[in-house]
Amino acid sequence: MVTVVHPNMEKADAKMSARDVSVYYGDKKAIDDVSIDIPTKYVTAFIGPSGCGKSTFLRSLNRMNDTIPSARVEGEITLDGEDIYRSKMDVVQLRARVGMVFQKPNPFPKSIYENVAYGPKIHGLASGKAELDEVVEKSLRRAGLWAEVSDRLDDSGTALSGGQQQRLCIARAIAVDPEVILMDEPCSALDPIATAKIEELIDELNGSYAIVIVTHSMQQAARVSQRTAFFHLGKIVEYGRTSDIFTNPLEERTKDYITGRYG
Amino acid sequence: MSPAILLVLALGLGLAGWLAARARAWTFRRDSATGRIAALPNYHGWYVALWIVIPVLLFIGLWSIIAPQLVTQSVLAAPAASDLPSFGFQRNAILSEARSVAIGNSSGVFNPAAAALVEPYRDALAKFNLIGVLATLIIAFLTGVWAFLRIKPDFTARTRVERAVMAILLFASLVAILTTLGIVVSLVFETIRFFGMVSPLDFLFGTHWGPDPMSNPDNPDPSRYGAIPLFWGTIYIGAIIAMIVAIPLGLMSAIYLTQYANPRLRAWIKPALEILAGVPTVVYGYFAALTVAPAIRDAALAVGITNASSESALAAGLVMGVMIIPFVSSMADDSIAAVPQAMRDGSLAMGATTSETIRRVLVPAALPGIVAGIMLAISRAIGETMIVVMAAGAAANLTGNPLEAMTTVTFQIVAMLTGEGSFDHPATLSAFALGFVLFMVTLGLNFVALRVVKRFREAYE
Amino acid sequence: MMAEHTVKAFDEDITRLRGLIAEMGGLAELSIQEAMESMVNGDESLAEGVIARDKKIDRLEAEVDKLAVRIIALRAPMADDLREVIAALKIAGVVERIGDYSKNIAKRVGKIEGRKHFEPLTLLPAMGDIATEMVHDVLTAYAARDPVLAREVIATDDKVDAFYNSIFRNVVSYMVENPATISSAAQILFIARNLERIGDHATNVAEMVHFAATGNYPPDEDR
Ligand SMILES: Nc1ncnc2c1ncn2[C@@H]1O[C@H](COP(=O)(O)OP(=O)(O)OP(=O)(O)O)[C@@H](O)[C@H]1O
Ligand SMILES: [Mg+2]
Repeated sequence: MVTVVHPNMEKADAKMSARDVSVYYGDKKAIDDVSIDIPTKYVTAFIGPSGCGKSTFLRSLNRMNDTIPSARVEGEITLDGEDIYRSKMDVVQLRARVGMVFQKPNPFPKSIYENVAYGPKIHGLASGKAELDEVVEKSLRRAGLWAEVSDRLDDSGTALSGGQQQRLCIARAIAVDPEVILMDEPCSALDPIATAKIEELIDELNGSYAIVIVTHSMQQAARVSQRTAFFHLGKIVEYGRTSDIFTNPLEERTKDYITGRYG
Repeated sequence: MSPAILLVLALGLGLAGWLAARARAWTFRRDSATGRIAALPNYHGWYVALWIVIPVLLFIGLWSIIAPQLVTQSVLAAPAASDLPSFGFQRNAILSEARSVAIGNSSGVFNPAAAALVEPYRDALAKFNLIGVLATLIIAFLTGVWAFLRIKPDFTARTRVERAVMAILLFASLVAILTTLGIVVSLVFETIRFFGMVSPLDFLFGTHWGPDPMSNPDNPDPSRYGAIPLFWGTIYIGAIIAMIVAIPLGLMSAIYLTQYANPRLRAWIKPALEILAGVPTVVYGYFAALTVAPAIRDAALAVGITNASSESALAAGLVMGVMIIPFVSSMADDSIAAVPQAMRDGSLAMGATTSETIRRVLVPAALPGIVAGIMLAISRAIGETMIVVMAAGAAANLTGNPLEAMTTVTFQIVAMLTGEGSFDHPATLSAFALGFVLFMVTLGLNFVALRVVKRFREAYE
Repeated sequence: MMAEHTVKAFDEDITRLRGLIAEMGGLAELSIQEAMESMVNGDESLAEGVIARDKKIDRLEAEVDKLAVRIIALRAPMADDLREVIAALKIAGVVERIGDYSKNIAKRVGKIEGRKHFEPLTLLPAMGDIATEMVHDVLTAYAARDPVLAREVIATDDKVDAFYNSIFRNVVSYMVENPATISSAAQILFIARNLERIGDHATNVAEMVHFAATGNYPPDEDR
């Protein structure tokens, strides 16, 4: 079974491409021979039933799977044409270029300021306090959080509300100015207002970064993304423009999933 | 002998009650229209069994205390007892000799006066044994029947058994707490006696320690009871030298084990470290006294320090530090492992290396737990006795030189209690005051440590 | 038939929506038939019935609107379901128009004079039959989600148009020859016009049915 790629998609520059990628946990194959191009200037959504391998594939895009001892990746994944799994690849550098936001907000138990300054500090992106202040403010502004926290930057990041924490994590991720942002169900723990804020933020960031978002909400995928890939049992069943996938999917399984007829 | 028989008897009766009540509950169940009763038959069984066993156990407890007295009384009432010495040591000796023959522990008597009492003793024992058994049976029967009559189809035996279980558990935990309280009370008692002879100010702030157990107990010399050198020695060995060894090594091994070691290696090293914690301290003491201390002295002599003693704070502290490593490392290990994986992933996903992640995220996040572990380790170290007894020396020196002999609170407690002073001599009593101070300090440290750990837990759950 | 939704109530809503459309369509079809019958026979009481039925069709349309909005709000339908609901919403509007045209025809029953010998009237029943058949077929296509039948209906529209043109020419020349009956003849023109519009609307519905079933509008050559 091969992925059905919608023929009417406009050509777009691929920021990242996966070719015949399989991911194993021990002997268990979680991703089976997946190929996909992640375009530069779009938001790409991964949808699919629980356990189909969305997170696994997402994590293989910035080599976060390396932190799981049993995980093994086969095939080729490139970022701007360079194989990210080649032996000379600097993983630390890769992760600075391909940032990640997790399902559960995970601010460090440090001040808001320190949370955002964390990345720039370890990568030496700011020389001096003034420049660092600037980076922190800019990132918080872009994440739409500045107004809410500007007068309490020294408070702990964990003292914020869930939605604020998630925006803080996004601010933290964009503080190192990545080229790609991977988001794994970033709104699953948030209320509709906080979700709307994050979606607005994704819209805002769209164009500057290639964004990949995993979501269980069809509506959310439809709202924020321009491209959608439907994962099922470790494969991408269908990949196309979001508007096509949600109005007129070509594959029966995709249709059943998005119309709520799955299993 | 008789309590053991009573015990078996009680359990047997309980079992009988259990079976009977269960069988009866089964018939309820069979007869009921819905096949349902308020509690399963087993619970009815337990209800009755508990009602038999608990009163009987209480009775046996009571009986084993009063029965011997009753026996003695009835023996004394016997005519053969009339020519016993009216009281005192001799009288008791005769009685206990007669008793041990009567029970069968010894075969013959030396004292003819005792021989005459053997027979009355046997009679009395037999009589009271019989009474005990009968009383047990009666109690078991009464409470058992009462409980048995209470069980009905709609009887909520389950909740009642639950309550009884809770009470038993509560009792078990109270035993430990009450024991601790008992220790404190007895310590406080002796400490107050000591402070009646030597003022607490002299004790806590004096800088010279040298109690003389042979001096006149009614007129102690307060200037010989200054405990500062002991406190200093304790802190210097237990909280400074030992910690200089234990904290970095413990922390680093915890970090290695949680972050770098592969699971198979971890499965070996972690238990090995924990075994280290199980080695008897006297073994460490040997090691400190026979290997480390001489080595240190030789090394000191080799670099030209001539007055190095063969017992030194350094030797004791170093070995104690090694002994404490597992405490620090296992607490640190737990608290680092308790930092959510998400925290670690978050840092790694920012492009931090593992060691940056450890330094900047994991250790700060786990710090409260690590600090708590260190405090527990300190409290363990300053309470440690064997190593200092064997390796630190007995001289109460107030010095910062680790090569000199020093003494600690625990060492002096041992020395004072085993010294030749009489029991109510202030030198002996000072051991209780020292113990009391030690107890309060370790209690404080543990208390703070537990509070810190609790706060830490709350932050992540 | 499609698999069931995980949420059963969703299926029930969709079924009800389709039922309402089918009911509306059935009424509209009946109205055309009866309007034409009353027209041919001059049966004014039958015509009254057609006019009264239009009210009922309007009520059903309102009900479809309400239900469709509710489904969109509560169930957030996607893909086929979304198309189905949108199509239902539009089809209801179109069917309501078809009902209006039937009413319009029925209203003209009393305005034809000398019906027995009025030649142009004989042209209408055949056209009426084709229009009725189109409505009938498109509803069948809707019920079966059958894009092929829908395209056949679209193709039939040309026949209706051709019919209209020929009636138009005939009636105009009849008017020239018989100026006395000009007002009745003009009524015939309006009726033919109404039937032609009904055919157009049936075509619209067919397009919607095609869209709901396949996600695409029928290719242009069919229109
Ligand atoms: N660390 C792991 N070790 C072993 N198997 C794993 C591990 N993580 C995931 N898997 C397995 O890989 C498969 C894909 O998991 P993954 O987390 O990628 O699913 P997902 O699509 O993200 O699901 P969800 O929508 O529930 O987050 C699952 O079958 C899961 O059991
Ligand atoms: Mg996932």
